[in-house]
Amino acid sequence: MKLQYSLIGRQIDNSLSSLSSFRLSDDVRYRPILDMDTIAESFRRGGYGGVDRYRDLKGYINSDLLISFRSKIELIKNMSNVQIESFKSVAERSAEWKREMDHFPGISPVSVNFRLGDGFKFRYKHPVLGTSRWHYGQDFRVPYGTEIYATGDGTVIESGWNSGGFGNYVIIDHGYGLRSTYGHLSEIKVSKGMNIKRCDLLGLSGSTGTSSGPHLHYEINQFGQHKNPIYFFNNDMSEEEFSEMIQAFGSKSKFR
Amino acid sequence: MIFFRIDYLCLVMPKTKYKFNPDSLSYDKVRLGVKELFFRFLAYLTASVIIAVIYWVIFASFFDSPKEKALEREVEQMTIQYDLIHREMANIENVLVGLQKTDDNLYRTIFEAEPIPDTKRDGGVGGVNRYESLEGYTNSRLVIETATRLDKIRKRVYVQSKSFDDLIELAQNKEDMLRSIPAILPISNKDLTRTASGFGLRIHPIYKIIKFHYGMDFTSPAGTDVYSTGNGVVIKCLSSKRGYGNHIIIDHGFGYISLYAHLSNFNVRVRQKVQRGDVIGFVGNTGTSVANHLHYEIKLNGTNVDPVNYYFEDLSPEEYERMIEIASKTGQSFD
Repeated sequence: MKLQYSLIGRQIDNSLSSLSSFRLSDDVRYRPILDMDTIAESFRRGGYGGVDRYRDLKGYINSDLLISFRSKIELIKNMSNVQIESFKSVAERSAEWKREMDHFPGISPVSVNFRLGDGFKFRYKHPVLGTSRWHYGQDFRVPYGTEIYATGDGTVIESGWNSGGFGNYVIIDHGYGLRSTYGHLSEIKVSKGMNIKRCDLLGLSGSTGTSSGPHLHYEINQFGQHKNPIYFFNNDMSEEEFSEMIQAFGSKSKFR
Repeated sequence: MIFFRIDYLCLVMPKTKYKFNPDSLSYDKVRLGVKELFFRFLAYLTASVIIAVIYWVIFASFFDSPKEKALEREVEQMTIQYDLIHREMANIENVLVGLQKTDDNLYRTIFEAEPIPDTKRDGGVGGVNRYESLEGYTNSRLVIETATRLDKIRKRVYVQSKSFDDLIELAQNKEDMLRSIPAILPISNKDLTRTASGFGLRIHPIYKIIKFHYGMDFTSPAGTDVYSTGNGVVIKCLSSKRGYGNHIIIDHGFGYISLYAHLSNFNVRVRQKVQRGDVIGFVGNTGTSVANHLHYEIKLNGTNVDPVNYYFEDLSPEEYERMIEIASKTGQSFD
């Protein structure tokens, strides 16, 4: 019996140490980077306190051993429960963050190796109308028929002809208050209400609407305010890397 | 005077000439004028001189004069001397090559200076022939060779002395350099649990393609202190929404530049001098980043180097090995 008990005791110690290493990675690795508070040690250990719950085990020769075992097992139960709950919340949080990252319009709609046209600025002379007005987006000087990709996951909320000057255009709602607009397309490949993933084909570039030549007009709105799209993508990719990325996303996507 | 003349005539004209005089029908003695005598004398003199010269030339071509012999011996002696000098120069050149080797391989390596290329050491003047005045003699070749060699040695010695001057300066700056080179971890990293992703090819968290990750990532709660890893001057302190986000660049001198990216806040300003261990900013999640982390890069002479080799003040060899292991294990960077 004693041998058995000591074996079990070793196992208990092992599981305690592995639990504490879980706790370490939880507290040090996952929670800090996801902006979550760490769980207090007292909360992890739980403990009911007060009432002597091991009264019925007292009075035997090996009472101490038994009681310490029982309390350790109790502790493991508590800690593992807390740990499971904590990991659940961490997984939830990380899925949430991942979802947000996927929906964030964080890439450029065409390869950044195309020349950038007019940026987000006040134009004193509109190239077609000749009047001065704000230019609320970023222009990419792409040739006619270049494929335009979605910059983040989201839902198509508008697609079709815009008489205001965008020509054939698509608006994607990414959630989190973010919307992106793609204007002057020659052909639209998505329809209103479609759920799309990042790097899905939206259409082909063109020169429809008030445009003086083939280009893509890319706009980003956050909570109804125009934002400078230049802050939503980096120019750190080559042409090959961009097409590689499109393919990598395309193989996962249900469209195309 | 008369005596001389008679004597002279006796020598020059052993025979008296006579000429028939039709008037007196007798033979008169022919008397020569002074002018004729003089010319005759000159002719004799010239002939004798020419013969003497011919004799002398023939004689000299077969027998040397004592003076000539002495000169010849001297020339021989000089040639031997030149040879000796050549041998000495070869020795000196060997010694110089040894010095250059220690300079390039030992001292310059210790102080991490670039070795001096051979072309710079030899550094020929070229173009103009500087030994024109020495040309056209019997031993010209030898003399010119010696002069060239001497010039080369002079040049090399000059370069070497300059190099040693540099090294002395470097040695004096060594202490400064040791304080400036990045040598500690940019955040406190107990048990190395905050090491996330290392230098090398990693999957980009947003693009999902394999891209080169030019730095090291440390995961950490937002607001954790970020330390300057060496003495230096803040050359960039930029607030940005894209790429590196809020980032700080510190110039440590000696070709070293370090970069701290995705910060939430700054604790320094541009052109501020910082010491090793100063808090320069706080960890955040700005720019192209998927979670709270610090992206740490080191550039040496403009090229990115693996920061894992620049923690020698903080890490023991075992920890260093473990750090390399952890850093190479992760497949995805936080960018």
